[in-house]
Amino acid sequence: MGETLPTMDLMRSEPMQLARIIIPIESAHRTISYLGDLGLFQFKDLNSGKSPFQRTFATQIKRCGEMARKLRFFRVQMAKAGLLVLARSAYGSEISLDELEVKLGELETELIEMNANTEKLQRAYNELLEYKLVLQKAGDFFHHAQSSATAQQREYEEHRLVEGSMDSPLLLEQEMTTDISKQVKLGYVSGLVPREKSMAFERILFRTTRGNVFLKQNVVEEPVMDPVQGDKVEKNVFVVFYSGERAKNKVLKICDAFGANRYPFTDDIGKRHQMINEVSGKLSELKTTIDVGTLHWSSVVQTIANQFEQWTNLVKKEKSIYHTLNTLSFDVTKKCLVAEGWCPVFATTQIQKALQRATVDSNSQIGAIFEVLHTKESPPTYFRTNKFTSAFQEIVDAYGVAKYQEANPGLFTIVTFPFLFAVMFGDWGHGICLFLATLFLILREKKYSSQKLGDIMEMAFGGRYVILMMSIFSIYTGFIYNEFFSVPFELFGRSAYACRDPSCGDATTIGMIKVRDTYPFGVDPMWHGTRSELPFLNSLKMKMSILLGVAQMNLGILLSYFNAKFFQNDINIWYQFIPQMIFLNSLFGYLSLLIIVKWCTGSQADLYHIMIYMFLSPTDDLGENQLFWGQKYLQILLLLLALVAVPWMLIPKPLILKKQHEERHRGQAYAPLYSLDENIESDLDYKSHDEHEEFEFSEVLVHQLIHTIEFVLGSVSNTASYLRLWALSLAHSELSSVFYEKVLLLAWGFDNVIILVIGIIVFIFATVGVLLVMETLSAFLHALRLHWVEFQNKFYEGDGYKFSPFSFALTSDEDED
Amino acid sequence: MGFLLTTLIFVAIGIIASICVRICCNKGPSANLFHLTLVITATVCCWLMWAIVYLAQMNPLIVPILSESE
Repeated sequence: MGETLPTMDLMRSEPMQLARIIIPIESAHRTISYLGDLGLFQFKDLNSGKSPFQRTFATQIKRCGEMARKLRFFRVQMAKAGLLVLARSAYGSEISLDELEVKLGELETELIEMNANTEKLQRAYNELLEYKLVLQKAGDFFHHAQSSATAQQREYEEHRLVEGSMDSPLLLEQEMTTDISKQVKLGYVSGLVPREKSMAFERILFRTTRGNVFLKQNVVEEPVMDPVQGDKVEKNVFVVFYSGERAKNKVLKICDAFGANRYPFTDDIGKRHQMINEVSGKLSELKTTIDVGTLHWSSVVQTIANQFEQWTNLVKKEKSIYHTLNTLSFDVTKKCLVAEGWCPVFATTQIQKALQRATVDSNSQIGAIFEVLHTKESPPTYFRTNKFTSAFQEIVDAYGVAKYQEANPGLFTIVTFPFLFAVMFGDWGHGICLFLATLFLILREKKYSSQKLGDIMEMAFGGRYVILMMSIFSIYTGFIYNEFFSVPFELFGRSAYACRDPSCGDATTIGMIKVRDTYPFGVDPMWHGTRSELPFLNSLKMKMSILLGVAQMNLGILLSYFNAKFFQNDINIWYQFIPQMIFLNSLFGYLSLLIIVKWCTGSQADLYHIMIYMFLSPTDDLGENQLFWGQKYLQILLLLLALVAVPWMLIPKPLILKKQHEERHRGQAYAPLYSLDENIESDLDYKSHDEHEEFEFSEVLVHQLIHTIEFVLGSVSNTASYLRLWALSLAHSELSSVFYEKVLLLAWGFDNVIILVIGIIVFIFATVGVLLVMETLSAFLHALRLHWVEFQNKFYEGDGYKFSPFSFALTSDEDED
Repeated sequence: MGFLLTTLIFVAIGIIASICVRICCNKGPSANLFHLTLVITATVCCWLMWAIVYLAQMNPLIVPILSESE
């Protein structure tokens, strides 16, 4: 057993090693930056005990957080200006973090100042607008009122002049005195009130002053910008006349409560005109000032937008560098930082080169030291995938990441998953549609990979190569099932069946006969639409499912053999792999053999009967169910083998493990001496070594019992589970045939163009919606289940963890809002 | 065409495909073995499916019975 099998990409995880890097402080930042560019080192957190505030670089991270906050503020401003972030503008000079911090601070204060000023100016502008309205509208009242008052006064005076001589002088005097004393001071308040509140305003005024005020309102046609709230409100101009100090206070309080803005007013026409002119002048001045301010603001925001992407990336990068630096332990005595982490063995030279470059670029005297540590810890799993294989690997990883260096089911999944999908989807018309759709995605790969897509589109785009493989295999199985949108074609030669006699009289009762050789590729086209189509196809597809299932399960068990060989676990080979193979193949392998023999000989034997009576009465004579000579004895032998295989799986392994454990313990009587340096990982070794020593025999026995029962019962249920290949394939072909016959042919039969067009549209929608989308998802799911459960439970443990290196490319993908 | 003949055709296609893949993307022994595994798996799957359908039709127990309308 000297030679090892050659290695294969993707079969097992890349060999990983635990490495320690000792970095002098002056080159630490640059080193981490170059390692981030390389993206092949996963840092272990050596300061996991410390809280975030106790870590060395907490202040730096706070600075980065501040800068990120400023950048978010800029983003809001840019959104306000309606500018979009330029994607990945690569130009712009290299700028250091300190310079950026200063610049961001300056820009922030400038923007905040400009915003505050603009707001103040805007508010003043709105107030002046309102004042102008008040002046105009209230002026109308007074003008109107005055003209009517002077008219009345003139009338009254005339009246008095006419009647005055007749009156008694005493009365006149009384009137005049009362006139003078009754000259109470009438005050007024003018302003604007929101229209919705105007009724309530009037009512409250009336009630509180007991009707002793006079309110006149006038509607303003367009909505006015409210200076306090900043949005347009419909308002009315009002003037309230009151008498007395108490009434005045009440009116003022009510105005404030209703948010009515008050403006001073004079009833002198001349002064009013002057005020209006002044206000108009001020308004135009303010407008120009505001416009100039806004222009300046948008130019500042534009310059920010040009460099925004570059700055954000720089801040993100620095933040991640400082987070990583925080995970390094600070070796105070030696004035350097110590990093520990996992990296692939093949990346050693690349990492060392990056370290050297960092040393040179930071003008450091001491170089960084890279050393490999030996540990019993389980390394992370790393597969080097390209854009084609990564989707398949993700499918496998979704169930569980492979344990370090165990066989990777993803290798075979690349072919078997699309194949099993195609067995359930077989129709070369639908396959071509899927192929064209996914070809479109692949041709636009570059464009779509840089865009941000919606959730569903993202999934479809990520799985484009999976769907491509699925569609290619579907075209193949479509040719085999001979279905093109459920229509068969005679593409590969002549059909094997013909009528018994030229009149085809009994074609509908007894049927055709086979006159030529078997149809060379796929299902004979004569079958479609016949009465015996379903019995034939069902039998064919069920047996096919069993055969494919037994093949895939055998592959799974074979992979467990390769695992056992790789990990040099002989127990697993002798006491797990061999009994499992014997058990599965003596039962279901034998069934597969029977199926093939029955097909080859054309015997009428009943396979159900054979299998059941193999267990119930194995010694009975087979009679007409005999397929080959010696079958009875073979069956008895296989039954005995299967019965022997079960305790072979169950009992020896725990006993041998127990014996091995006892032997190991006997040799551990003396504890080894530990050397003084390399204390850390020897501690680790000791601890993990200690854990290995725990051995509970009952636990191991129960574990093996569960494993055995799972395998024995599972072999029946898993084999039956593969019948879903038949079930979905039947559903697909029936749906397809229904849509074809009951929609398209029906519409064709009417001989009417409109009905035909409607029929075609319905057919297209039904095909795309039900068959291309729903059936694809359904078959995808079932093929996935067959892989995850029936295939992988034969050999896969899947309890590893994924290699997640520190890489700038990965962090920038994560943080996208 | 016969079962054996078509099986030989499948084998030939498999060999040609492996050679083509080796010529197109020759990226070191582990990658070559990987590509070879994929090609062989695909060929075996396709042949298996064809063989099953062919064998099932070689000695049929039921024959097509046309339905009334045809």
